[in-house]
Amino acid sequence: MLTLDNVSTGYDAIDVLHDVSITARPGELTVILGANGSGKTTLFKTISGLMPIRAGSVEYEGRKLNRSRPNAIVKAGIAHCPEGRHLFGKMSVEKNLRLGSYPHRDKARTEEIFTEVLDLFPILAEKAKQPAGSLSGGQQQMVAIGRALMSDPSLLILDEPSMGLAPIVVDQVLASVAQINDKGIGVLLSEQNAKASLAIAHRGYVIAEGRIVLADEAANLLDNPEVQAAYLGL
Amino acid sequence: MTLFIQQLFNGLALGGVYCLAAIGLTLVFGVLRIPNLAHGALYMLGAYLTYFFLTTIGVPYIAAIGIAAIMLFVVGVGLERLVFHPLRNSPHTHHMIAAVGAMFFFQALAQAIWGADFRRMDTPITGELRILGAEISAQRIVIIVVAVIVLALLAWFIKRSIHGQTIEAIEQDRVGASLVGINPSMVSMLTLGLSALLATIAAGLVAPINLLSPTMGDALNLKVFAIIILGGLGSLPGAIVGGFALAIAETMTATYISSGVGEAVAFIVLVAVLAIKPTGLFTKAVQR
Repeated sequence: MLTLDNVSTGYDAIDVLHDVSITARPGELTVILGANGSGKTTLFKTISGLMPIRAGSVEYEGRKLNRSRPNAIVKAGIAHCPEGRHLFGKMSVEKNLRLGSYPHRDKARTEEIFTEVLDLFPILAEKAKQPAGSLSGGQQQMVAIGRALMSDPSLLILDEPSMGLAPIVVDQVLASVAQINDKGIGVLLSEQNAKASLAIAHRGYVIAEGRIVLADEAANLLDNPEVQAAYLGL
Repeated sequence: MTLFIQQLFNGLALGGVYCLAAIGLTLVFGVLRIPNLAHGALYMLGAYLTYFFLTTIGVPYIAAIGIAAIMLFVVGVGLERLVFHPLRNSPHTHHMIAAVGAMFFFQALAQAIWGADFRRMDTPITGELRILGAEISAQRIVIIVVAVIVLALLAWFIKRSIHGQTIEAIEQDRVGASLVGINPSMVSMLTLGLSALLATIAAGLVAPINLLSPTMGDALNLKVFAIIILGGLGSLPGAIVGGFALAIAETMTATYISSGVGEAVAFIVLVAVLAIKPTGLFTKAVQR
């Protein structure tokens, strides 16, 4: 279980997140809905240790992660697939994926997950020897998700995996996210596409201007008039 | 023809030395994003330590280089921890000033221990080999062979081993590397240590041909910076090709035109590259 308790953080003099409290229950798919600039990316960067916490606490499976560095947080079982993907563009797809296993470096487990990732995204088997930077946006997103999975996480953080992708690819990516979750890996997903993401989620939060404004089970959020007005255009 | 072959081998030997020195510098640039102006001083320190173990202690030649190289690895790690790491969030000029400071420190240290006079490190490997009618000194053959072996090991380490791959990962995407669990601090230490180790191997190999002095790193510094700009900052193949190309151009112009022009050729090439293709010959386009 991931628990954020009254977390505040920001850049320079400006606080971006204000007293954010969320929980992501083990094995569940939790979605964070919010417009551009609402603080989704900052929230995830705070969890994975890329940004320091100013106040509050982050706890995962009973361990405090407030001052942990990103490499320690991956080891603790939280893999962050960031906005912008941050792949190793000049390395082959296969090398990108295999470097994902760096936190555990267990040969047998690496091969096992590698096969799973290629089953999940068969196109990556074809592109295995190509530089990751030469792939299309959707394929790069698959490499990024695959690389995060290679660390054998118990919680996968996905920051707007559908951003900038063609609608048909968005459906594919979200379908694979649901598949990953079905295997028992907890997922924390940020999205602007409320309908598609709430359909696969267990629980959701709505974030606006760095504050959590709504928190509920996914089904209830889908029926919530505020969510419908703001995100579903109903 | 005999003269040409002789000079070609001289060029290859010098090229091996340049490559080993330049690769470390280009790796450090790729990982820490700073031009390590103290690189030549590390090379100089490596030469003196090799000299110390060989001449003063009496360790066999290759072992002396090996011990000195390991010691310089530690010095490189120390330099990263004590100088560059504390400055990691400051503007780039601070790194350069600190690197110059480190360079003066190492030069003063060498001068305090070994004096300011030139020292000769006697060639432990004597004799000549006759190749295609040309007399090639055995020392130069040793330089070429050792350089090729070290370069091959390094290529294997960086491309195939998981710890070596972390260097390339950091070079290509720092955030991505952190998120796959790589500790950028560890990689910075490893890279600076490795660069000092390679510079020491280069220095130990060439020391029997050149003289030792506390400022011997200055000339090398200029050359290796020219090489990595020529090959493209951060590019490994660029540093290798650039190193050999520059060394051969240097020996050939020195032989067929004049030795003065030979020394200048590095900078003529450098100015030409900066004017025509400032990103270097081996970088496809400006990254990011």
